[in-house]
Amino acid sequence: MALVLKGVMQSTVTPLKEDFSPDLETFEKLVEFHVRTGATAIAWPHHKAESLNLTIKERKKFAEVAVKVTAGRVPVSIHVSALAVEDTMVLARHAEKIGADAILAITPYFWNPSPEALYDYFVRVGTSVDLPLIAYNSPSYLEGVEITGDLTRRLIERLPNFVAMKEASFDSEKFLEISRVALAMRPTFSMIAGVEFLLPSVPLGGAGSYSSAGAICPNLCTELYESCIAGNWPRARELQYKLAQLWDLFRDQYPSSLKGGMVIMGRPVGPTRPPLPTATRERQDYIHEQLGALGILDSEPHGW
Amino acid sequence: MTKFKPGLVHTPVTPFKNDNSVDYATYTKVIDFHIRNGAEALALPMPSGEDMSLTDPELREVLKFAMGHIKGRVPVIAHVSDAGTSIAIERALHAQSLGASAVVSHPPYFWHPKPSMVVEHLVRIGTAIKTLPFFIMNPPVESVGTTLSTDIVLDVIGRLPNLAGVVDASLDFVFMEEVMCNGRPLRPDLQLIAGGDFMVSAGALGGTGMFSSLSAIAPKLVRSLFDMCKMEQFVEARGVQENIGALNHAIKAAGSSGLGDGLAGTKAVLASMGRDCGAPRPPVRRAGEIERGRLLEAIAAMPFLKDEPRGW
Repeated sequence: MALVLKGVMQSTVTPLKEDFSPDLETFEKLVEFHVRTGATAIAWPHHKAESLNLTIKERKKFAEVAVKVTAGRVPVSIHVSALAVEDTMVLARHAEKIGADAILAITPYFWNPSPEALYDYFVRVGTSVDLPLIAYNSPSYLEGVEITGDLTRRLIERLPNFVAMKEASFDSEKFLEISRVALAMRPTFSMIAGVEFLLPSVPLGGAGSYSSAGAICPNLCTELYESCIAGNWPRARELQYKLAQLWDLFRDQYPSSLKGGMVIMGRPVGPTRPPLPTATRERQDYIHEQLGALGILDSEPHGW
Repeated sequence: MTKFKPGLVHTPVTPFKNDNSVDYATYTKVIDFHIRNGAEALALPMPSGEDMSLTDPELREVLKFAMGHIKGRVPVIAHVSDAGTSIAIERALHAQSLGASAVVSHPPYFWHPKPSMVVEHLVRIGTAIKTLPFFIMNPPVESVGTTLSTDIVLDVIGRLPNLAGVVDASLDFVFMEEVMCNGRPLRPDLQLIAGGDFMVSAGALGGTGMFSSLSAIAPKLVRSLFDMCKMEQFVEARGVQENIGALNHAIKAAGSSGLGDGLAGTKAVLASMGRDCGAPRPPVRRAGEIERGRLLEAIAAMPFLKDEPRGW
């Protein structure tokens, strides 16, 4: 299957049992729900899936389930970044072995690598597997460590399998600088916005987003994307503003509040592993109230 | 309050002589150039006009001189930012007495006050000028100092009837979206103005104006971007926005002081286009020979600049 990364792609959360152990059965239902409700790709485990709070063994198991349940209906990318780069390499090779369609890697955690070290890192990851590579740029979360337009150019020159960027700087100038360089060199390159920032990014060459709220309101996310593609700006603005209110609701204690919201939508996925908190009953009640006020309870699917 | 929608706002440079004094003779040419080349309003002196490197008497004199020369041909938005609230207030009152159409201010320079103090600073400036439209500005991410948060903006809206809008140079999707989504219910005519020549995302999110410093170099390109965004042709505007992005990137990369401010690069390009405005004032250093050569080479390779005006 030729890899096409566009539209509203779902980066799923990680279901856990009450004792915080992996809940693979619910994960199967969750992946199925996303595919059935229009996800154009499945991506796991981004940070909202508590990637760094899972062991490498657990990550492998969930990745296997994601690939198995999706069964080729849409592409599956596996986020392979770990605190230790050696673990990243292990996860990348594992993703290839189980039949994933792509791997995703963020700039290394904790350290403050130079541009040259970033180049070496992505070349090492990208050449370790025969899979498409999606790079992940999140300078605000990683103290300014970022993928620039210049680094993008060098990586495209070096890596034929460098096909996409999850761009989460949320900055028009930075997004445009990368997309300007990348799309001129590789027109099929996909610029994918983090969260649902589709309206400000699609006109700049954005291909879609890794959804945050898709587990709550897949219909809203899909309609926003379609409005952007159709150039229906007044409608897109209305939907984007609504998603801004949802993001405001969920980013507090992310992804705990998201998991709390999923309880309200009849798709409980259990607690969040410490040090992240789990949404309390009171928090869930507040989320319930907000989702009602935004009309989400009436317009989005309930249950699995 | 009279509705003032500034549209495409040019933010001119301040020309300096070799002895670092303000070059007023050239300043008249700068102003006329902008008015002749599509400015619907002028904001001055903004950071691109090196406001921070001008003394308080110079800031007042520059504004007075400019307004005397503009003679109402376009509205003037007076930039009054400072570290101290009372200094900024006095400057705003001075601008009002000269007949400025609006005032714009960043959060206080240098200090890192708590959000409530930022609100107080901005509210005091806005209150002092009573009904004159007041814009607050979110600085670019590269700048050092306090930025605006959505909560600060919402607090200021709640306290200032004359708050006309937010100029966003941070270019932050999240900030722009939140300000529009939460601010418009409180003030339906709240304006979002794109800072830094990047209008596509801001326009898509409901922005109606743009502050442009690159208009000094490429006024036709800037006008084209603004017009397309005004007509909501955001997808079509991508090519123009990319060209502006390329120009912006080359200019920012050229500053030998490493400030990434674009001042040295802008003035180097202006000189090469026959509009010499001198060098930036210290501590910003003029572009060194190597950076200047690299920049002019990059500019020469940009075909979209060939139709831009040369000379005054």
